[in-house]
Amino acid sequence: MDLNQILIDCKNKIDSATTSAELESIRIELLGRTGLINKLFSEIKTAPNPREYGQELNQLKNNLEELIKNKSISAVSVNENVTNKKLASPAVALAKVGHLHPITQTERQLNEVFRNLGFSLYDGPEIETDEFCFQRLNVPSDHPAREMQDTIYINEPNILLRTQGSSIESRLLSQEKPPFKAAFPGRVYRNEKVNKSNHFIFHHYQGVVVDKDITLKNLFGTINCLFKSLYGPDVKIRFRNKYYPEVEPGVGPDMECFSCHGAGCGICKGAGWIEMGGAGIIHPHVLKMAGIDPKIWHGFAFGLGLDRWVMAKYNIKDIRTLLGGNLAYKPNEL
Amino acid sequence: MKIIYSEIKKWLPDLTDDAKSLRDNLTQIGHFVSGFEEIDNETILDLEIRQNRADCLGYYGVARDLAVFNKIDLNIPEIKDIKFSDSPIPITINSPDVYRIQATKISNLKNSLSPNWLVKFLKLHDINSINTLVDLTNYVMLQWGIPCHAFDFKKASQLIWENNQNYSEFISLDNTKIKLAPSNLLITDSKKVLSLSFIGGQNSGIEIDTTDSILEMAIYNRSRVRTDSRSLKTITEASIRLDKELDTETIPLAFSHLLSLLITHCQAVISGQLLDIYPKAPKNINIEFDPSSPALYAGINISSDFAIDVLKRLGCSVIKNQESNFLISPPSIRKDISISEDLIEEVIRFNGYYQIPTDTPISSESLPDITPPILYLIEKLKDQLIKLGYDEIRSWPLVKTSLNNQAIYTQNSINSDYPVLRQSMIQSLKSQLDQYQRFKLPQPQFFEIGKIFSQKDGQYIEKNSLGIYNYNSEKLQQDLESLNLPFTKGESEGIDNFAEIILDDLSKPDKYIPDNSTSKAIELTSQIITLDANLTLEEKSEPVELIKKYSDLIDPNILWSMQITDIYQDVKLNKYRYTFQVSYYNCDDKTAKKIHLSTFGLDTIK
Repeated sequence: MDLNQILIDCKNKIDSATTSAELESIRIELLGRTGLINKLFSEIKTAPNPREYGQELNQLKNNLEELIKNKSISAVSVNENVTNKKLASPAVALAKVGHLHPITQTERQLNEVFRNLGFSLYDGPEIETDEFCFQRLNVPSDHPAREMQDTIYINEPNILLRTQGSSIESRLLSQEKPPFKAAFPGRVYRNEKVNKSNHFIFHHYQGVVVDKDITLKNLFGTINCLFKSLYGPDVKIRFRNKYYPEVEPGVGPDMECFSCHGAGCGICKGAGWIEMGGAGIIHPHVLKMAGIDPKIWHGFAFGLGLDRWVMAKYNIKDIRTLLGGNLAYKPNEL
Repeated sequence: MKIIYSEIKKWLPDLTDDAKSLRDNLTQIGHFVSGFEEIDNETILDLEIRQNRADCLGYYGVARDLAVFNKIDLNIPEIKDIKFSDSPIPITINSPDVYRIQATKISNLKNSLSPNWLVKFLKLHDINSINTLVDLTNYVMLQWGIPCHAFDFKKASQLIWENNQNYSEFISLDNTKIKLAPSNLLITDSKKVLSLSFIGGQNSGIEIDTTDSILEMAIYNRSRVRTDSRSLKTITEASIRLDKELDTETIPLAFSHLLSLLITHCQAVISGQLLDIYPKAPKNINIEFDPSSPALYAGINISSDFAIDVLKRLGCSVIKNQESNFLISPPSIRKDISISEDLIEEVIRFNGYYQIPTDTPISSESLPDITPPILYLIEKLKDQLIKLGYDEIRSWPLVKTSLNNQAIYTQNSINSDYPVLRQSMIQSLKSQLDQYQRFKLPQPQFFEIGKIFSQKDGQYIEKNSLGIYNYNSEKLQQDLESLNLPFTKGESEGIDNFAEIILDDLSKPDKYIPDNSTSKAIELTSQIITLDANLTLEEKSEPVELIKKYSDLIDPNILWSMQITDIYQDVKLNKYRYTFQVSYYNCDDKTAKKIHLSTFGLDTIK
């Protein structure tokens, strides 16, 4: 095929355009997805010398793009306003600013706190086994704690979508040798109907420390440090006894209600405090199942739900907004 | 579990806490009080009972904890000395799921509507009053945490506990038909189903004129009750308790209490023997315990004497074993205590978590970095992409359709419209684009980094992947080249605005410290309205300055974006024409137009 002749024909066509709309129509005819150039590219395999033919086609494409670009300016300036001279094209605007998702922003704030405390970050699979999501966290199949988590199965009963960030903990304990400190943000799934206040996908932020001589005092101090970093030095935290199968003793950190400051209101359901997550000293069975000797090593683990925090911080009323919903950002700083 | 403040005081006459202090103390020792209200001149505390503390699904268990915490005595309700007859009770147990049952027969019953105190008590626990006999069984369940059941002897002259083999349907007391499954634990009379383990049936229900009744209190294999309750989609006050590990040793006290109340309030005569079938007695647990260990776990000083005192007050048997060790046997009601760490937790919680200081975080000394390199790559890419002007999105990893036969499906998701784990990020980006188009978001460009899923040869595979969309395909091309990453073009119709890169296949950095700048996200609730304005000026102006000047005139709560798309010079008149494109949100069409015309002075043009 004579590509030079094609170039001449196309040039004539481009030159003949008298309006920008006509020019755009020609551009699509030549360079669009189903246009002439792509059609020629599809014939490359049957050409006698495909490599050479491909190079020539690329050159033709570049030439056509250049011709259309040059014609574009003159078409607009000459035909659409004969008395006007275009000074800037195609646009003068403030630079588009990109944004991290609020959950990523919050995760990064937390990551920074924990990195400063010498933590690594960690990750694990979202498709998990029953063993790592439950059994290694001291939750056997008939354990009542399973009721707390409605599981989405891929292949019941063994393959599932992880219901808690603690499954990353059980992976970490089995893969790494102590001592270690790691934090792990992650997506988790529960079999919940999606509506304004519930979602079947949540975000957990969890962490684990395994070392010698770890105490509840270290755990309380670490969580207190975290909350003060996020909410300022005046934030009030309390710790109470709480049950999680993978820890013993178990702890629930609460934050004084930011709305009523402890007096009791609708947000805190009259309690004056807001539940912020769970924590505790890692259960010796959990360490044993990971091959870590609980007589030598101790550890603490903690977990926080991110979604509610993020919603409060960004004034988001509908939890569906956080995932593939109506969340957007102003494109630039005005 | 709701408790009435005045009722808990009956169990603990020496309790000096007012209701609010009681609320705080219950929360402190692990029974979070999620509700606190005044009803009918009573203070009601709604407790979230931990899954492993089934003993606290009755006043008895909660009062035991408070007695230890406050170092006061527990007052057991008055129980009459019950005289049983020798008449056998027609009960047969043909199921291995029955762990203990006590039963007897009562006669000459004077059943009636319940007294006011009983009606009020049940109402405050959200239970409707039926008649005195039924109400007292519920009263005892709430007091002791163990359900009990009364059968009308005229309707049910023999009771057989069996796992279902023959029956297809059961009709509950409230006339609900429940379709039965094999192995459900039933109580039958060999011809019909009288009751399930956790809900009574019409075939044996107590009436106001019932005079003879068989009473039973039983504890079952909790897994069987849980399976039955969930599979039959029936949850009752009884099932909530029976599907947890209850104490078979508490039955004699609770059952005697029920009989005492029936003698007092219904003038019942005990006309049967005390049947006590007890195939699953709990094993005695002995735990070696070092009383100095709570201090080591807590990181503060807790004396050994205090530790031993707490355990004794909890009802543990405490025997000195060696020089510094003790052999502890917990009371059978405390099913949650089986290892020394459980005892440590008991000591620390009664010592008070508030005693542990919060000013000593873990040492900041760095341990070897175990961060997977892919996480550094992800952080780095996110920073690069936002610098290029892309917004990060997060979407559902579950999508409507598969791309090929390697897709992974969920088996039981309630959200059945989205059964497939996404195989490409572009599937998610397209959904987000649809959403943005619905809101008419101008010039979207966004990305997501997340997992994509597939299966091959029986293996489940998940990989980190980056998906990018730009409304301007040329800009996308340039940006991908600037990132210097190999990419796959999207297969969307029309222009190539999508691209995807599988990150797990790329080389990764050893270290990366991310940029932690934060920015504001907005929840879109209405369409974005975009309007143009042509402004003619006498002098040439700096576009950025113009944008600043005019954007300052518009309320930031409705201004989404402003840009200048064209600048022309009118050569004849030597004037300059600027074309503004302004997008508004949080307002309707009419308001946007009004503000737009006013901002650019176009409302005065005739």
